[in-house]
Amino acid sequence: MIDPVTVEIIRNALNAAADDMNATLIRSAYTPIIYECGDCVVALLDANHQVLGQSAGLPIFLGNLETCTLATEERFGREVWQPGDVWILNDSYLGGTHLNDVTIFGPVFVDGTLVGFTASRAHWIDVGSKDPGGSMDSISIFQEGLRLGPQKLVSGGVEERAVIDTIGTNVRFPYPTTGDMHAMMACIQMGERRLQEIVRRFGLDTLEAARDEIFHQTELLERAVIAKIPDGVYTAEGVLDNDGVDLDTPVPIRLRITVTGEEIDFDVTESADQTVGPVNCGVSQAVSALRVGYKLLVSPDLPGNGGSFRSMTTQVREGSVLGARSPAACQWYFSHLGLLIDMVARALAPALPGQVAGASHGDSMIILSSGTDPRVSRDFVSLEATVGGWGAWNGSDGESALINNVNGSLKDIPIEVHETRYPWRITEYRIRPDSGGAGRWRGGNGVIREYEAQTDMAVSLWFERSRQPAWGLFGGEDAVGPEVVINPGRPDERRILKINGMKIKKGDVVRCATGGGGGYGDPTERSADDVRADVLDRNITAETARSRYGIGSTAS
Amino acid sequence: MGRYRVAMDIGGTFTDVVTYDQESGTFAATKASTTPGNLSEGVLAGLGAVVDEPAGIDFLVHGTTQGLNAFLERRGVPVLLLGTAGVEDSYHIARGPRTRLYDLHYRKPEPLVPRRDVLGIGGRIAADGTELVPLDEDAVRSAARRVEGAVAIAFLFSYKNPAHELRAREILHEELGDDVTVSVSHEAAKEWREYERTSSAVVEAYTGPIVRRYLLDLEGRLADRGLRVPLHVMQSSGGVLTAESARRRPLQTLLSGPVGGAIACAELSRQTGRPHLIGVDMGGTSFDVSLIVDGEPDVSAEAQLEGLPMLMSVVNIHTVGAGGGSVAWAEAGGLRVGPRSAGARPGPACYGRGGTEPTVTDANLVLGRIDPEGFAGGQMTLDTEAASTAVDGLAEVFGMTTTAMAEGICDVANSKMAQAIRTITVSRGIEPRDSALVAFGGAGPMHAVFLARELGIAETVVPRFPGAFSAWGMLQTRIRQDWTEPYFFLDQDLNTSDMSARLTRMEADGLAALTHEGVSAEQRSATHAVDIRYAAQEYTLTVPLTSADEPNDEDFLANVAQRFADLHKSRYGHANLGAPIEFVALRTAAFGDLGRPEPQKWPAATSTEFPHAVREVIFDGEPRQAIVARRDDLFVGHTFTGPAVVVEDTATTVVPPGYSVSVDDIGSLVIRKDQNA
Repeated sequence: MIDPVTVEIIRNALNAAADDMNATLIRSAYTPIIYECGDCVVALLDANHQVLGQSAGLPIFLGNLETCTLATEERFGREVWQPGDVWILNDSYLGGTHLNDVTIFGPVFVDGTLVGFTASRAHWIDVGSKDPGGSMDSISIFQEGLRLGPQKLVSGGVEERAVIDTIGTNVRFPYPTTGDMHAMMACIQMGERRLQEIVRRFGLDTLEAARDEIFHQTELLERAVIAKIPDGVYTAEGVLDNDGVDLDTPVPIRLRITVTGEEIDFDVTESADQTVGPVNCGVSQAVSALRVGYKLLVSPDLPGNGGSFRSMTTQVREGSVLGARSPAACQWYFSHLGLLIDMVARALAPALPGQVAGASHGDSMIILSSGTDPRVSRDFVSLEATVGGWGAWNGSDGESALINNVNGSLKDIPIEVHETRYPWRITEYRIRPDSGGAGRWRGGNGVIREYEAQTDMAVSLWFERSRQPAWGLFGGEDAVGPEVVINPGRPDERRILKINGMKIKKGDVVRCATGGGGGYGDPTERSADDVRADVLDRNITAETARSRYGIGSTAS
Repeated sequence: MGRYRVAMDIGGTFTDVVTYDQESGTFAATKASTTPGNLSEGVLAGLGAVVDEPAGIDFLVHGTTQGLNAFLERRGVPVLLLGTAGVEDSYHIARGPRTRLYDLHYRKPEPLVPRRDVLGIGGRIAADGTELVPLDEDAVRSAARRVEGAVAIAFLFSYKNPAHELRAREILHEELGDDVTVSVSHEAAKEWREYERTSSAVVEAYTGPIVRRYLLDLEGRLADRGLRVPLHVMQSSGGVLTAESARRRPLQTLLSGPVGGAIACAELSRQTGRPHLIGVDMGGTSFDVSLIVDGEPDVSAEAQLEGLPMLMSVVNIHTVGAGGGSVAWAEAGGLRVGPRSAGARPGPACYGRGGTEPTVTDANLVLGRIDPEGFAGGQMTLDTEAASTAVDGLAEVFGMTTTAMAEGICDVANSKMAQAIRTITVSRGIEPRDSALVAFGGAGPMHAVFLARELGIAETVVPRFPGAFSAWGMLQTRIRQDWTEPYFFLDQDLNTSDMSARLTRMEADGLAALTHEGVSAEQRSATHAVDIRYAAQEYTLTVPLTSADEPNDEDFLANVAQRFADLHKSRYGHANLGAPIEFVALRTAAFGDLGRPEPQKWPAATSTEFPHAVREVIFDGEPRQAIVARRDDLFVGHTFTGPAVVVEDTATTVVPPGYSVSVDDIGSLVIRKDQNA
C-alpha cells in the first residue's frame, strides 16, 4: 500500500514533466503555428503505452499519441525499442490526422529496463503536398505530401542523416521544418530526463504503484459522473456541407451514445462512407474527438492520464469518413471532428442539461490568399481562421467572436499587422448582430470581416456549417450560418463558401461573415432587461427584439 | 540635505516601510496597517512611525496599489471608447482566443467598457501613415455629449500617424474643458496591434483619474507636513517616476506592487556577485516567482491583468500558487493541495476567522515551524488548536497521524511549487541549478530550503528584512522613462543613419524629460535597444545597442544580427545567423541616478556563541530538537546546522536537518547543504 503523499507528489511530478516537455517544444520551435498557435501535444507513456502525463496545445490532439508507439510495436515487435533511438511517424491512417501532423517519439530506459516512452506531435508548415502548406481540394493521400510510417530518425544516439535529408528534400521549407524536428527531439529528450529522474528518485515499483493509484482515482471520478447519467440511448445527427470537392453532396455524421451504469459507448459507425474530398480522418482521431466531447462534459478539470476514458468505449467503422482507409484524402480532417464534439453535447443534453451548451459556429472558417505585394515586390501567403459565436448554456449567454474548438488558443491577426504585411485593406471587423440563436440564454454572435484587395491575387475559402448552422437546445433557437459575398452590392456580386485558388482583382471586396452559436431555452423567457441591454449593446437589432422576444423598443 | 531615504510598499493588509539613515548608514523596517478606504492615511501613519519630521527626508518612494485596486474591484471611472468606424469592435472581439481548452462554458475576460459605450468615428489612416479618410470631427463633437467619466481614443495606425487621435482629443477638450481625462492610444502604448493598444488606453482612462486624485491628495498632505522633496512612484518597469510624471502616465504605476521584490533581487545580485537568482516571494495568500538572469530582472514589453493586455515595460512576476493559504483536501481517495486558497478570509484555520479546512500555514504550525506568537510581526496570534483540528480531520480520511498529515501537506505543496519554478526556468532556457534561491515575503523563508532541495539548488539566501524586501528594493532604483517608436524595416531596406538620427532624437527627448523630473545633467543617462525578429516571426526580442550612434558603425548590421542570434539562442535554444531579420521598434530608456544607499556592512560576531532556545520541530516524521534563534542575534561568523528555526518580526526561516547556516557580510542568511551530512 502506497501512502497518499507519495502518490500526490508523483502525480504532480508527472504532470509537471509533461509541462516541461511542452515548454521545451514551444521555446525551441521555429514556426509560429507551434510556438504561437500551440498546434502541438506532448505525452509521457509508461512501458505499456498508458498515458502518465500529457499537455495539449489543441484539444483535438487529446489522447492518441499512444497509437504511434503501439503501431510501431505491433509492426516491429517489442524488442525494437533500443536506448538512444528516436522515431518519426505521420501516416494519417495510423496517427489519425493529416500528414502535416508529425509525431516524434522514443523509448525511455533506466539501467537497461524499458520504463516508458515520450512523444510529441506538432504541425509542420509543409510536408510537400501539391499546394504549399496543404490543399483544399485533394482527392488522394498521394497529393498531400510525404508519408512516413514508423521510421527511425536516431539510432543509438546517432542521427540517421539519410532519412533527415530525405525529409528535407521533400518539404518546401526545409530550414524551419528541420528546426521544428529538432525542437521536437529536444522536447522528448526533456521528457526522457524527467521520467528517468522520477524512476531513480522513487524506484520503478513505487512509480508503478503510484501510477495504478493515480489511474484508479481518475477512473473513480469519471465513473461517478457517468453513473449519474440515466441508462439509455442518446443520439445526434450532424452534417458537413460537403467534402470540399463535390459541393452538392452533404456528408452526414451520426452519433449513438449508449449509457449502461458506469459505462458509456460512442458509436459513429452509421456516419458517411469516406469521401473523395479531403474531409476524412483515421480511426484514432475520431476517438480523440469523442474523447474531447466526453471530457468537456465529464472531466474538464482533470489532467488526462491512463485512467481517463476507462469507462468509455468507441465504435468507428473502417472505410467511413471517420475511419479512413488508404488512399482517402485527409487534409481537412478536422471539420467533422469539431462537429462531432458539438454533437456529443447535443446527444447528452437530456441527461446533462446543466453541463451542455448549444452548438458553436463550429469550424475554422479559413481565408487563404496569395500573390505579389506591389509595395515591396515580394510574394506573400496569408492564412487566417475567422472567429465566430459559441453556444449558450443554462445560466449564461454564449460568447461572441471566439475561435473554434479545434484551433485552441489561436488569436486573429491584428488589422495593423495584416495591412502592413499583406496587400489588403480591412474595411470592416465587427460583431455580427442577430447571428446567435435566440433563447432564454442567447447564443454568441459571429463576426463580419470585410477585405478590399489592393492588388490582383488568388483567394481560397473554407467556410462550413451552412446547411446546419449551430443548433439551439431546450427551445433555444438555431444560429445563422456563415456567408461569404464577393463584391457585395455590385453587378458581379456572388456568394461562395469553399473554393480553391479563385482569382480576384484589385478593388474587389471579400465580405466574410461567420455564424453564431445556438441559444438555450425559450426566448420568451428571456428578461426584458436583458433583451433591451442586447439592443443597446448591438448584439441584436430592435427588429429581433420584437420578432423573437416580443420586446418593444426602449425609451432611450 | 535630509537624513533619511524612505520606501513604502503598500500591500493588501500591511504597508511595509524601510528607511535608510544616511548618517548612521543603517536600515530599519516597520509595518503599518494598510487603510483600504483612504490609502494616504496608512502611508502617513507608516511614515510617522519611522520619521519624526518629513522635512528630514531626502528621498521618498512608494509603490501604490490605488490603480490596481480600482481595476480589480472594477471601481474605475466610466470610459467612453472612440474607435475607427468599421472596426470599433476590435476591443470586444479581443482577438478571439480560448485560453481554457476544455471549457464548454468559456467567457472572455470581462472588458472594462460595455459595447454600448464604444463609438466608431469616421476617418482612416493607412498602414504607411497617410490619411485615407479625414477625421469626422462632427462625430467627435457629438460623442462629447456622451462622456460621463473619462475617454479613451484608439484609432487604427495611430502609432504611425497620431493626427486623428490628437485632433479628437483637442475637440473633446474644447467641448468638455481641460479637466476631463482623455487617454489616447499612441501615448498609452506607441506600438502596433490595435486590440492591445486600445486595451492599454482603456485601462489608463479607467484607472488614471483615481491614481491622479490619490497622488495629488498625498502630495498635498506630505507638503503640508513639510516634505521638501518630490514624492516618487514605482513603475511596472522597475524604475521610478516623480508623482507629477506618474499623474500624466498613470498606466505605468499599475503593476508596480510586486516589482520591488525583483528589483531587490537584482540589487542583491549586484552586491553579492551572484549573476542568476530565482526570487521566491511567498505571502499568506500568494506565491510569486521572479528571475534575475546575468544580473538583470526579466522584463517583458507586454503585461496582462485579468486577461486584459497592456503594452508596456513590465518586470515579469510569475504568480504560481496560493502560498500558505492553499487548501489541502481529499478527492477520490487522493490527497490534493491547492489550487484553491482559503484567502485572507476566512483564511487558514489558525487565523481563527472561521476557516475549518487545513491549509499549508496550518500544517506548518502543527509541525512547530511557525511561532504562533510571532506571526506577521506579532500582529496576529495563531490558534494552534484550530490548526491541529483541521489537519486531523484530513488525517482521519487517510488513516494518518496528525503530524504525518501536516508534513505530507507541506511536502506536496513544496514539490508543486518547485515544479512550477522549474517549468518557468525551462521556458526561459535556464537551469535552476545555476541559480541561487532568494527567499522573501513572510512565508518564503519557511519553504525555501525545501524548494532548493527539490530543484538541486546549492544556495538559499534569506536577505535582511525578508518581509519588507520589496520596499528595500525600491530604495535601490533609478528614475526611468521609456520611449518607444515603431520602426519596421527588413535588414536589407534599413537606412542606418536614419535609425541613428531617430535614436538620437529619442535620447534628447528622454533626457529633457529627466530634467523636468529634477535630475541634474551629470546624473542622466540613456540606453537604447531595438526590437528584432526573423522575417517570418511574429514576436520580437529586444536587442541592446551600445549607443544612439551605433547604427552608423560600418559593421552595425553584422554586429546587431550576431547579438540578436546570441540572444535568440539563449532564449529559444537555436538561432539562424544569416537569415533575414526585421527591425520592428526602437526603444530608449532614460535613467536618472538617485544615488543608492551604501550596502550596510553587518557586524562581525564577537564569539561563536549566540543566544538561542531549543524547541521541538517535526522533520521527516520525527520530533527533533531544533535551534530557535532570533535573527537580530546572528552576526557575521556565526554558523549552525539544522534543524533550526530563525525568527524575526517579518518572517520565519526553517532549516531542515542536513543544512547549515552562515551569515554573510550584509547580514543575509546563506543556507547550504551540510557537507558533513
